[in-house]
Amino acid sequence: MSNQNLLNTYDDDIVRKFLMACLIWAGVAFLVGLIAALQLAYWPLNLNLEWITFGRLRPLHTNAAIFAFAGNAIFAGIYHSSQRLLKTRMFNDTLSAIHFWGWQLIIVAAAITLPLGYTHGKEYAELEWPIDLSITLIWVVFAVNFFGTIAKRKEKHLYVALWFYIATIVTVAVLHIVNSIEIPVSFMKSYPVFAGIQDALVQWWYGHNAVAFFLTTPFLGLMYYYIPKIANRPVYSYRLSIVHFWALVFLYIWAGPHHLLYTALPEWAQTLGMIFSVMLWAPSWGGMINGLLTLRGAWHLLRTEPTIKFLVTAVTFYAMSTFEGPLLSIKSVNALGHYTDWIIGHVHGGALGWNGFLAFGMAYYLVPKLWKTELFSKKLANTHFWIGTTGILLYYISMWAAGITQGLMWRNIDASGRLLYPDFVETVTKIVPLYWVRALGGLFFLTGYLIMMYNITKTIQQGNAAKATETIPTPAHQMGSHEHETGHRKLEGMATVFTVLALIAILVGSVIEIYPTLSLHKYVKQENITSPYTALELAGRDIYIKEGCYVCHSQMIRPMASEVLRYGQPSTLEESMYDRPFQWGSKRTGPDLARVGSKYPNLWHYRHMIDPRTVTPNSIMPNYPWLVQHDTDFLILRKKLSVMKNLGVPYSDAEVSNADIDAQKQAQTIADDLQAQGAPAGLAKKEIVALIAYLQALGQKGVKK
Amino acid sequence: MNNHQSNKEKDEIIKGHEYDGIQEYDNPLPGWWLTTFYGTIIFAALYYVYYTFMGGPTLSQELEAEMKAVPAVQSASADSNMTEDTLAAKFGDQNTIAQGKTVYVAKCLPCHAENGGGLIGPNLTDNHWINGQGTRVGIFKVISTGVTDKGMPAWEQMLKPEELTAVAAFVYSLKGTNVSGGKPPQGQEYK
Ligand code: HEC
Ligand code: HEC
Repeated sequence: MSNQNLLNTYDDDIVRKFLMACLIWAGVAFLVGLIAALQLAYWPLNLNLEWITFGRLRPLHTNAAIFAFAGNAIFAGIYHSSQRLLKTRMFNDTLSAIHFWGWQLIIVAAAITLPLGYTHGKEYAELEWPIDLSITLIWVVFAVNFFGTIAKRKEKHLYVALWFYIATIVTVAVLHIVNSIEIPVSFMKSYPVFAGIQDALVQWWYGHNAVAFFLTTPFLGLMYYYIPKIANRPVYSYRLSIVHFWALVFLYIWAGPHHLLYTALPEWAQTLGMIFSVMLWAPSWGGMINGLLTLRGAWHLLRTEPTIKFLVTAVTFYAMSTFEGPLLSIKSVNALGHYTDWIIGHVHGGALGWNGFLAFGMAYYLVPKLWKTELFSKKLANTHFWIGTTGILLYYISMWAAGITQGLMWRNIDASGRLLYPDFVETVTKIVPLYWVRALGGLFFLTGYLIMMYNITKTIQQGNAAKATETIPTPAHQMGSHEHETGHRKLEGMATVFTVLALIAILVGSVIEIYPTLSLHKYVKQENITSPYTALELAGRDIYIKEGCYVCHSQMIRPMASEVLRYGQPSTLEESMYDRPFQWGSKRTGPDLARVGSKYPNLWHYRHMIDPRTVTPNSIMPNYPWLVQHDTDFLILRKKLSVMKNLGVPYSDAEVSNADIDAQKQAQTIADDLQAQGAPAGLAKKEIVALIAYLQALGQKGVKK
Repeated sequence: MNNHQSNKEKDEIIKGHEYDGIQEYDNPLPGWWLTTFYGTIIFAALYYVYYTFMGGPTLSQELEAEMKAVPAVQSASADSNMTEDTLAAKFGDQNTIAQGKTVYVAKCLPCHAENGGGLIGPNLTDNHWINGQGTRVGIFKVISTGVTDKGMPAWEQMLKPEELTAVAAFVYSLKGTNVSGGKPPQGQEYK
């Protein structure tokens, strides 16, 4: 094709690429999710293999679902719809290609490094610093390409879908960069500069807004393009678009601390997290209203068009999730739901229902268009729809039941003042049957996906991408037109100002919440101050992070009677003041570990780590037999302590320069004790001893008992 | 459109708003939606002011109140009337010992082994004791209050008084049985 012709056409090749990537990675994300679900129902499926043990597999699943599946779906939709909404080809085909291949490379890097245990130990931000840097770079490439396209647009005004894309691109950049400020220790290991409550706040500001600006705003953008387009109906209310867009981007960024209710985070910040989440309810539903009411007069399509079925169901799940989210942010509800499977159910209502079904709907629409043909089988698409919906419902309902059941069991105190279920594992075995139901739901969802892949492959085989080339029509409003415009309409013609305003909208809440906690000393009480980890404990802590123990264990005792009875006094912010990263956790598949130190003899931990069932029959925790085989890396400890010291942890120079020697001494003491109690000799060098040192230090660093 | 909606939703297409064929209606914000939005904003403001500036209870105050409502566990081991003789009657009862065995299997087995020979915790079948002194009262007390910094839990927090007595009776019955393959003796010998 000649250059001139190329410029007159949309670049749909890149859309096809992203769409294919999205569909292929989706399979990986769903399959790994199903395996993880089965591991919780049936622990032997951890197979005693370190690379696929639950603690490492779950981050692989979440990263694949968010960044590989949803990410590529977003890019496909954005590249497809933006060109059409701006009436121009993408800014630069080379940048598009770099974006595409760069992103896929990042995903491959994640898929290799996460099973190997290279992780930050922060949810959805697990990838180590070289990958973090690559993400930044590729995101900038994407941003340049996108804003370049806006700059050379032929359509004067930006349609609401584009507002959401702009907010997404700007905010994700800010979130990712701030949450990844870290100091490398070695090629694949780094420590964040933030510690304890700071790290917790920054992480959940990031984590929550990954949901907001990676899984919500871009998908709302896609909804605003594909629903009216496919239904061929005008958008219900332009005014609603304006109000709910700005309200959403302004309010969302504040809501992060709702992940930290009842923690050691200062209470004003917790309260902000709660009230902003409550205020988010209506703005979120604004999107739902505009999505669903756009279909007025086109409801018959729901019967005939599988695409519409998927989109409508997606929006319905969006409405459910965004109602449930504010509900779960209300403190008393959160007290019950937090750390339980209710949250997992909540997330999957959004991820499978909203993101999944929207992406599927988009794919069923795009594939026939981009390959110039008809969908191979509507019937199969309908089958996919029903199997998928059943899967989501099974998933959601089982997790809801599991979460509430377990939450109630945890807090049940009998008339004599004792916990009714003092053995944590009792509350686990109770819900294992529901884990099976959840896995069944996942199997349904995956089956639906496979049906879709068959359908789409057939469609592509009968189509012809070359014939799908579209030439760019003339826009409704030329760029140069000088109609008199006021208010928001005027803003829609001013892309730069619009972008700056969106940036300001998200920065306000970010700065107000994060800035005060940066001066941690204001909150630290001298009488509660703790001592830092010894070198060996730090080594053990890094093993804890590497193995992903945080995906099943929290380290944050909440100020509630049942938790005080079960675990001890509430965690203080001083107890995690040197924790880089913080490991408060978000899910208690196992009990809280904040005060596990000195609760059990070393030998208990030794036996428990090799096979938890030898000390806790019916435990579902995986075996960690490799911890007795791998050697602890003592040599790197000097470097680790020196980085920590530079970050402000009060280690003496001697402690830094003798780190490895001190660690070996401490390890020898523990190994001797183990041996005296009947464990084999020669464990001092092994990872298990470092890990035991860390576990025994938890909660023992200065709190008064 | 239905009649009652027609005054609000006029469904007027906004002129000039057309993007790749997508048009927009000029419908107003739905009233119920706006009310909800304002409602949550008012709630949020009141809530924040109350808890942050007007002395609403803090989390530790809430905890304190909650703890007051929880009855303190009656420490069975603090019973000053307890003597070897009062316990002897109960410890001699075969039913009590049988019940104690059930508790033992559920709670103690991981650390003291099925036969009492010791594993993570000490051998309970020899005549050596670290804390238990081999007396009925001594055994009852160590089980009740534990040796928490050595990894022996304080069971009175988790077991009911009858269960405590029963499991102590069972442990007492193991004394001196010296099972084979048990852990080497720890602590002092009591005859
Ligand atoms: C699949 C989820 C899962 C993972 C991953 C996991 N655990 Fe556990 N853990 C549990 C469960 C369930 C229990 C409760 C039953 C038991 O005692 O084994 C538990 C119990 C524990 C306990 C005993 C706590 C107590 O107070 O009794 C410790 C210590 C522990 N785990 C440490 C770890 C460490 C260290 C890792 C990482 C190497 C880890 N766990 C990974 C699920 C998990
Ligand atoms: C987590 C492991 C663990 C569990 C579970 C456990 N114990 Fe122990 N137990 C220990 C340890 C360790 C010691 C030794 C404490 C010390 O060194 O002073 C001990 C000591 C004892 C002693 C005193 C022994 C002596 O030599 O003085 C008795 C009696 C005892 N346990 C009974 C029980 C009973 C009954 C149960 C179940 C209700 C139980 N233990 C459950 C770990 C455990």
